[in-house]
Amino acid sequence: MLARVGLRSSRIVGSNIAASTAALHTSASRKVDIPFLKHYPQPPGYIVGTVNDAYVGPKPSHSHGSLHWSAEKVIAIGMVPLATIPFVTGSFAPVLDATFATFILAHSWIGFQSCIIDYIPTRVYGKQHDYAMWLLTFGTGIAAYGIYQIESNDVGITGLLKKLWTKPEEKK
Amino acid sequence: MFAKRFVTVTPLLSRGLASTTEKAPLIKTFNIYRWSPDTPEEKPRLQEYKIDLNDCGPMVLDALLKIKNEQDATLTFRRSCREGICGSCAMNIGGRNTLACLCRIDRDTSKNTKIYPLPHMFVVRDLVPDLTHFYKQYKSIQPYLQRDTVPEDGKENLQSIADRKKLDGLYECILCACCSTSCPSYWWNQQEYLGPAVLMQAYRWLIDSRDEATHMRRELLQNSMSLYRCHTILNCTRTCPKGLNPGKAIAEIKKGLSLEG
Repeated sequence: MLARVGLRSSRIVGSNIAASTAALHTSASRKVDIPFLKHYPQPPGYIVGTVNDAYVGPKPSHSHGSLHWSAEKVIAIGMVPLATIPFVTGSFAPVLDATFATFILAHSWIGFQSCIIDYIPTRVYGKQHDYAMWLLTFGTGIAAYGIYQIESNDVGITGLLKKLWTKPEEKK
Repeated sequence: MFAKRFVTVTPLLSRGLASTTEKAPLIKTFNIYRWSPDTPEEKPRLQEYKIDLNDCGPMVLDALLKIKNEQDATLTFRRSCREGICGSCAMNIGGRNTLACLCRIDRDTSKNTKIYPLPHMFVVRDLVPDLTHFYKQYKSIQPYLQRDTVPEDGKENLQSIADRKKLDGLYECILCACCSTSCPSYWWNQQEYLGPAVLMQAYRWLIDSRDEATHMRRELLQNSMSLYRCHTILNCTRTCPKGLNPGKAIAEIKKGLSLEG
């Protein structure tokens, strides 16, 4: 009862509580919601079931749990030597460079995935969460093609950075 | 005879602390978040209260009690033990989640002290947040000893001193929710992310040598939401009024899950 009548959040002012309060508190509504996406109403006080039931989490999935986290860390740590070796030694190995480029891509893919899970959760945005994920996968695919081009036909990531780093020739 | 004379003298003395009578008043301004479910059409506001610090105890809770006793009986907050062991008076004081009973009043009177309820929680009234969902999450990690076998002596589940030491820094948590409500990840996804306080208790049961449900406990966390919404922001460790380290406990859980596969 309390949940339905009295509760309101200092964050989402009346957006997903009883409709009566929502109409009254309008100024600071939906600060954290994305305005152009449709979102689903949340239960009052976020309480699913009765107040005495334990919260029920998502089903266990190791690929979304520990395996995902391990891969994330392996990639992040692996990037350290891959980035520093060409930088320090000045040498260039196409295979290492291609691995480095792939790791950067994988790292940003996982990073953006995390952002989508954080800010466009299925719980609030439903299918739009999946659309965002597909969009990310599509973008990652295009980036992968670009990396393939740079690695096979151009100078590679290290070479590209070298090009940007070099002082442009002064015009006489 | 002495007692009789004492009784006649007492009313002449003022009731405050004896040592403060000669000091000039030190007026401190508190801005306190007010919202009442009785008047839902009114927006939450900050209400100003002025207190003479020389006539008040040293902690913020003393000031709140003084306001409630002397100025505004409608001011609502939870408190119980006044010594940091019950976790009732958790609130946001001067931008930091802490226990009002363990937080000293800033004696700089040029600055106001602002007091809000725990951030991003549903508010029941004034400084009282709704912790129902928090407790439901605590319940979900099954915070009790689970064993398949009975103890050998039929009486106690024994534990070595070294194993008992592993629980230090974990069992002291009073579930005041200061850490969970300071975590941005918990703000965005508190419906599914368990938050630092609950995860630290999950770890407390994972490493308990007497507990035999370790695998089941780990499986509960094997998804993208329950545990892995932690992005090691470490606000939890920074804010803990008991000086515990939920961030480290979460890191240990992640390590354990990864090594298990």
